[in-house]
Amino acid sequence: MDRTLTSFISALRTAEVRISPAETLDALSAVELTGYHDREFLKNTLSLVLPKTLDEKETFDNTFEEFFKFHDISGARLTDSEEGEPEEESENSAEGSGTGQGLRSGSPPRGTSASGEAGEDSEEDFAENLGHGPLAEPSSRLGALLMQNDRVELNVQVAAAAKEVKLQEIQVFTQKGLYTRRILEEMGLAELQREINSAKTSEDLPVRRLGRELKHRQDWLREQVRDYVEKQFLLYADAHGFKLREELLRKVKLSNIEHRNFRLVQEIVYRMAKKLVSLHSRRKKVYKRGVLNVSRTLRKNMSYDGHIFDLHWKSVKVDRPCVFAICDVSGSVANYARFMLMFLYSLEEVMPKVRSFAFSSDLGEVTELFERNSLEDAIAKTLRDFGGGSTDYGQALLDFRKKCMSDIDNRTTVIILGDARNNYGDAQQNVLKELYDMSKRVIWLNPESRSTWNTGDAIMRKYTPYVHQAEECNSLIHLERVVGNLLRTVQ
Amino acid sequence: MTEIQKLAESVDSLKNNFEEHRYICSNQIATSVYLAYHLRKPVLIEGPPGVGKTELAKTTADMFQLPLIRLQCYEGLDEAKAIYEWKYGKQLLYTQVLKETLDEVLQGAQGFAESVNRLHEFGDIFFSQEFMEPRPLLKALQEEDGCVLLIDEVDKSDHEFESLLLEILSDFQVSIPEIGTVKARREPPMVFLTSNNTREISDALKRRCLHLYIPFPDMELEQRIIHARVPEIPEQLRKQLVAFIQELRDMDLKKVPAISETIDWARTLLLLHTESLDPDLVRETLNVILKFQEDIDNINTDIPSITNKAVNA
Repeated sequence: MDRTLTSFISALRTAEVRISPAETLDALSAVELTGYHDREFLKNTLSLVLPKTLDEKETFDNTFEEFFKFHDISGARLTDSEEGEPEEESENSAEGSGTGQGLRSGSPPRGTSASGEAGEDSEEDFAENLGHGPLAEPSSRLGALLMQNDRVELNVQVAAAAKEVKLQEIQVFTQKGLYTRRILEEMGLAELQREINSAKTSEDLPVRRLGRELKHRQDWLREQVRDYVEKQFLLYADAHGFKLREELLRKVKLSNIEHRNFRLVQEIVYRMAKKLVSLHSRRKKVYKRGVLNVSRTLRKNMSYDGHIFDLHWKSVKVDRPCVFAICDVSGSVANYARFMLMFLYSLEEVMPKVRSFAFSSDLGEVTELFERNSLEDAIAKTLRDFGGGSTDYGQALLDFRKKCMSDIDNRTTVIILGDARNNYGDAQQNVLKELYDMSKRVIWLNPESRSTWNTGDAIMRKYTPYVHQAEECNSLIHLERVVGNLLRTVQ
Repeated sequence: MTEIQKLAESVDSLKNNFEEHRYICSNQIATSVYLAYHLRKPVLIEGPPGVGKTELAKTTADMFQLPLIRLQCYEGLDEAKAIYEWKYGKQLLYTQVLKETLDEVLQGAQGFAESVNRLHEFGDIFFSQEFMEPRPLLKALQEEDGCVLLIDEVDKSDHEFESLLLEILSDFQVSIPEIGTVKARREPPMVFLTSNNTREISDALKRRCLHLYIPFPDMELEQRIIHARVPEIPEQLRKQLVAFIQELRDMDLKKVPAISETIDWARTLLLLHTESLDPDLVRETLNVILKFQEDIDNINTDIPSITNKAVNA
């Protein structure tokens, strides 16, 4: 019973629901209280104990339906399942969806090695289908099992074989074929194949008929086992492949990320952002420590006859600073801008006010776009409205000065994202110098590698003197580091 | 078997009893109270405003006939307001009054060291239970027969306060430096925390709680709620107004109407002796369910069609 629960929990973890060991214990004691008898009750119970956010609750609902599907097939199994093998149950769930032929009702046999059971009656079932007279008795173990036509027993055998070959350690989808074969071999495929081969050449008609039938059923079994492996892979291993892919996406150059991965990347960004949020959300409190506010303390303690009981401290309220993000959204840098904006706006909770500007030739403020639209829409609109022109950094800086130089003060951090490829135009670095003097920090993020910063029409050389920090930034990991540093300094 | 045990014997009995107290709840909600009672775990309730999160705690207290102790959270809430504080005034008063007796106590004491030793013999009288002002959390622990502790809108408090809660939530005890650890009396309190999700609650806190999410109710449940809360309203009108509200929830509004608004609206319509919804009436009473002028302007043109749909539903 506990194993059912733990394997359910591991399936949940695969589906990205975070469950701590303590919660597992809670779940165990909750289930002890409620039992497995009422499916809805069980679901309600577990959904109170295990998932802890709305998203997780949705995932939980789906996983629960998938995992405990077998309950729908036969009510009799409800109580049996308490001691049953978890693999066996989920296997049955796989079967439940694809019940095609002769699934026998009745309670499933316990134990995993009851292969010796007689199954003569099943021969008649198929004899008439063939219409060619009687079949010979199969000699191999697997053959006998197949001819028994007892699905439940077969499932038990598949599950046992799967455990033997350590199916739960499957990691990537390319291993599916390998594990399918191993399970079949474990179940005695070799012996069966020998029997089929020898039956083919046999003189005896019933034996040849048996051979054909066995071949038939062997193919069917292969299909079943493949299904089973697939299912187990989804339940236990998909996350591993997922993590591999995720790991890769963190490191890959942002401009190389394919469109179909955008959603995933957005999730990663969101999660990275969340990590940063929890790191930085502990706002530092200054009161309760620091300088004694003498006059206030005296005044407050007047009522105590001048005895000092209630101390008051000078509290400092820090104004929240502001971040200005200026993004080049021309073709070459657009993708980087997309992810940086994504990052900045995912940090809403801890990030001080962000104002963002986009330019290729002319610069415009896009802050409002982000306030009114969802992140994806806002980014798409920004790229549509401002992308596409030929880059002119000089003009963009002039525009920026005209628009909001007066809003810059010594608490402002300015982030400029761009490759500084100016199409040989005027650099207007004096505007940047002005910015540099007025603001707290100016950070330049360049998606190109440092060695190409000054090649061709790139003019990083002219800008670097007037920034506090110039960084190469072209993957999610870079972004995370930059934004993490940013949070440390702006708060 | 005590009264409470009888009530909490099964989910169904809880559900029925909630209904008797005019709180219509889903199985999920009843299960949460059932588990909270039997596992002695706090429940963290999340959901949009106005779906009855606070009401659940109140009704539970009502049903179990336990005192309800409520702690409203806000930014800057600290242990002095949540757990305990020393009665400074009393301490001061007592020292003034006892000044005279000080001589007697110190009589014959030679020198400073001996005087201090004498004083030590009296222990920390001024920092004992008598001089302590218990705040909601401590009060809840001191209730002899248990109580319902409602920590309302925990998301409004600071991160530090959340950490402060951890000890009381997992072990039903608080540590007070001057006195030691105060444990819950015979019956630990039933704890409900509510959150509107204005910020993420920390994992540490979530881990210690059962997590209940109360969504907006579906049509059928909402009708039953209205029936329980405003029983005087005619059935036809009840159906119409619930259908109307359900329709509104699907629209893009700044603040969608919650159950509490539906109830208010039902009462309003009852007061106006309404028989059936019509667009003009809806327009006049819209400010009961929509709290933003923007929202009201937005749906103004749609009112006839929504009303029609609701009336014919």
